[in-house]
This record gives sequence, C-alpha cells and structure tokens, in this order.
Amino acid sequence: MADPLLLQAAIVVAALAVAGTLAERFGQSVIPAYILVGLVVGPNAPRLRGLSLALVEGGEFIDLLAELGIVLLLFFLGLEFRIDQLVAARDRVAAAGAVDAVVNLGVGVVLGLAFGFTPLETAFLAGIVYISSSAVITKSLIDLGWIADPESEAILGVLVFEDLLIAVYLALLAAVALGGGGIQGAALDIAWAVGFLGALFLIARYGGRAVERFFETGSDELFLLRVLGATTLVASAALVSGVSEAVAAFFVGTALGGTSHLDRVERVLVPARDLFAAVFFFAIGLETDLAAIGSVAGMLPVAVVVTTASKFASGYAGGRVYGLSSRRSARVGAGLVPRGEFSLVLAALAASVGTGALATVIPAFAVGYVLVMSVLGTILMRQGEWLWNLGGIFRRRRTTSGVDRTD
Amino acid sequence: MTVYETDVPGVGRKFEVDVGDGARIVVVIHHSGRRELFFRPKEGADSERVATLTGEEARQVGAVLEGAYFQPLELDSQAVPLGDAIIEWVEVDADSPLAGQTLGEAEVRRRCGVSILAIQRGEDTIENPTSDAEIRADDVLVALGTRQEQQAFRELHAGTDPSDG
Repeated sequence: MADPLLLQAAIVVAALAVAGTLAERFGQSVIPAYILVGLVVGPNAPRLRGLSLALVEGGEFIDLLAELGIVLLLFFLGLEFRIDQLVAARDRVAAAGAVDAVVNLGVGVVLGLAFGFTPLETAFLAGIVYISSSAVITKSLIDLGWIADPESEAILGVLVFEDLLIAVYLALLAAVALGGGGIQGAALDIAWAVGFLGALFLIARYGGRAVERFFETGSDELFLLRVLGATTLVASAALVSGVSEAVAAFFVGTALGGTSHLDRVERVLVPARDLFAAVFFFAIGLETDLAAIGSVAGMLPVAVVVTTASKFASGYAGGRVYGLSSRRSARVGAGLVPRGEFSLVLAALAASVGTGALATVIPAFAVGYVLVMSVLGTILMRQGEWLWNLGGIFRRRRTTSGVDRTD
Repeated sequence: MTVYETDVPGVGRKFEVDVGDGARIVVVIHHSGRRELFFRPKEGADSERVATLTGEEARQVGAVLEGAYFQPLELDSQAVPLGDAIIEWVEVDADSPLAGQTLGEAEVRRRCGVSILAIQRGEDTIENPTSDAEIRADDVLVALGTRQEQQAFRELHAGTDPSDG
C-alpha cells in the first residue's frame, strides 16, 4: 500500500473513534471495540463477497505507538500502586489477593496442562487468565456507582495485589523468554532482571525527594516531556539490556506515585496514555488472524467457563475476607471477572519473543479470551443483580427459616 | 462527626461523612477534578448517585452549604425569621457613612440595636467581627435585629439616621 503515513494514521484514529463511540453507546468497555475494529480494517480482515475493508497495513509506526501504549499502561499501573496502601490493609489485601492468585493461577496451570502446552506456554496462559482488567473494572465501578460502596474497596484491594504480582510475573517471564538458553542462562537472566529492577525499586522507594525535585516545573508542557522522556528512556534501557520494558515503566510510575506530582501526572498524561493504549489494542486486532482464533475455538469456551467460575468464586471469598455481606461479595466476584489490557500485554510479550505455539497460539487465545471476558465481565457486573435475585429464589427454598438475609 | 477518607487507585479519593441515622454522604473526587456525590440512606444499602459536579460547580455548592455563598443582589427581599429578630444582608455602598469606619466607631449596636454577625468581603467571611473590624465599601454586613432595628440600621447605612444630628 503506497498510502502516505498520515492517511494510515488518520484511518487508525478515525476507526478507533467510531469504535469507541459505538462501545460507549452500548454501555460496553472500549477495549474489545478497539480490538475488533483493528481486526476489521487490518490485513487479516475477513472478506465479504470479495470486498475487504483491509485499509491498514500495520508497520513500524503502529508498532511504535502500541509499544508506547504498553509502557504507559504499566507506568500508570505503577503510578496508582502505593506500597503504603498495600501495607495499611495488608491482612485483608494479602488474604483476598492470595486466594485470588492461588485459585486463578492454579486454574490457569491446570488448563495449560490440559491443553497440552509446554511449561513456558502454560505460565503465559496462567498469567493471561489470572490478571483482571483494571481499566474495564474501574470504568464499570464508576458507571454503576459501586465506587461509593464497600465492595469497591475489596475489588480494588485485590487489583492492587494483582498489580504487584503481575509486575514480578512479567519480569520473570520476560527474563526467561528473552534469554531462552537453558536453566543456567535463565537463572542469570533472572538475576540480571532482579538487579536492574531492584535498583529501580530502590530509587522509587527511597529516592522520593530527588524524583520530586527532578520533575518540578511550572509548565505542564515541560512536565509532560520530562515524564514521558524519563519513562521511555528507562523502559528502553531495560529492553536493550534484556529486561521487560513494561516492568521498568511500572517502577518509574511507582517512583512518581509516591511524590506530590501524582495528581498532575494523572491530569497531564492520561490523554497520552489513552491514545497510545487505544493504538495498542488496535494493533492487537491488526496482528490477529481470525483463522488463528479459529484454531483455539475448542479451548476458548472451556477457559471462559472455568475461569469465570474460578474468578467469581475467589472474588466472593475475597469479599467475605473484607467482611462483606453475601450479596456484596457476589458483586466482588462479578467485578473481578473482566480481563483486558494486562492479559494482552502478556500476549504481546509472548508474540514478540516466543517461537512456535508461544508466538501464535497463545496470542490468538489471549485475543479471543479478552474479547469474550471483557464483554462478559461487564455484562455480569451490570446484569448480575437479577441473576443474584434469581439465585435468591433457590437459596430461599433451601433455607428452612425462609428468611433470605442477602444484605 | 467522622469523615472517612480513602484512596481509590486510578480514580481519585473518596470521602464518607456520617449524617445521622446510619446515613452517609459519599463524595468521590476524581483526578480529573470531577466530583460525584452519593447518598447512602442506611448502612448496607446501595449508594444512590445524587449529582456529578465539575470542580467549579462543587465549589459553588460547597460554599452554599457552608452558608458563605449567596447572591447579594437578590438579598433585599431575603429575611430569616428568628423569633422577633430577623437576619438581613446589607451591602455597603461606597458613599455610605459606614464605609471606612470600624464597627466600634460606627456604634452600630448602640445607635440602632442590631448586631453584626458577620462581614462578607468577596470570597472571605469575617465571623463574629470585633469592634475594631473595619467596614469597607462593597462589604456585605449580616445584621441581626428586630424589624424596627433593621429599619434604623438601613437608615444609618444610608446616612439618613436622625440621631446623627
């Protein structure tokens, strides 16, 4: 395609705008809409009677923006992650988070082995089905008004735990997958990653004042440039030395989250993140071959059913840990079902470093899985109430007292 | 009264205020500056969204709730019954004899019987002003007194007070 780059960019952004508007109209998360529109206008677009919408070829510029999307997604994850918050509610967060991790990573491992994956592929699969989507969930919490109720504390508490775990998990997977040379090589790679990220962690934890001063400026424009510059610089340094760039960005975010710049970062950088993240989801759709999703069609329904149930159950238990009523605990369960951006970040890592099934089957599975789970999770949160009431009829029948204490 | 404050990762901050009978007002302040106001009628009930406000609107509403904000132009007709006494708001004209005097110098209470509860000056409120508080043009004086005393105060303000000689 000899189209000028600007035209390609125009098509990408316009397609995203249309998809986002439609998703908003139907009360859905924008993430699946962005992926779908990428699928539709990408090189693998389905043909209808010989007509194809394949307008966008992909290429370096989309890869670059998508990469920035990953970096900024993880940067914000780190920004919103506060170690003191975790410490303040450590008993409940740790208990609810541990149940969530053990149950869902465990289910992921079982699924991976059942599908006949290698250990590394299974590790990726477990991460993909484990990590809930902060973006989809937070949006629904606000839309539904749950943000004002106690279940949001339990949901966000579990998410905080997941954020920390996925950062470590991603770092380990990247070290192993990028190195890929035997156990000794893997151990060396992990040691190097731990050293690199450990240094970043120390800066984040104890360099607060220096970080504070470094980003001090009166101009929003300079602030934006400094934050983006520092983040991409650290992320690229990580990538060059074989460490996950996403996790490096996570720690830059953590460093800034501990300073008084937090509110300003949220205000000034959210537009940049939203743009780049949208292109990242678009690129995921672009690179996905529908035929590849077809090849995992047997696994998807199994994974969807099993991991919806496991997430609901672990979330329900987490709600109980927080001392919530059964009705609110059920909301916590439903609220954690959506999977989204971080599953795709794992898939992108698998696609970029993997070979064989890791580079093809796992990403295709992740895309199909996220498409279903982001929509299904949102629906569960919105419509869960009447399902719960329906369930209440059966629960009442079983209780002799006839009193249904749902609240 | 207790105000509970929680960090909401990725959203902003949440404040809960007890307002009696187990009811709570919940305010979520987003990083974007948007404020969401919820009301939870009793413990365990779902919060109902009351309003979504911009930062500017929230400050207006907050000032109204605080009792500090009003539209002085419409206040001629406003009076709050308080037994025999009423509260009136009087905006000080630049040519009023009161402008430039302290409350003590103006002898407001001795000459007309009203008590000045507060002086509004732009965004600021001087509550329970002392006798050395200065009255300036464009201030709004919040005066407590009977109808007759209020009448006398308006005359004093306008410079037509008979006892002034």
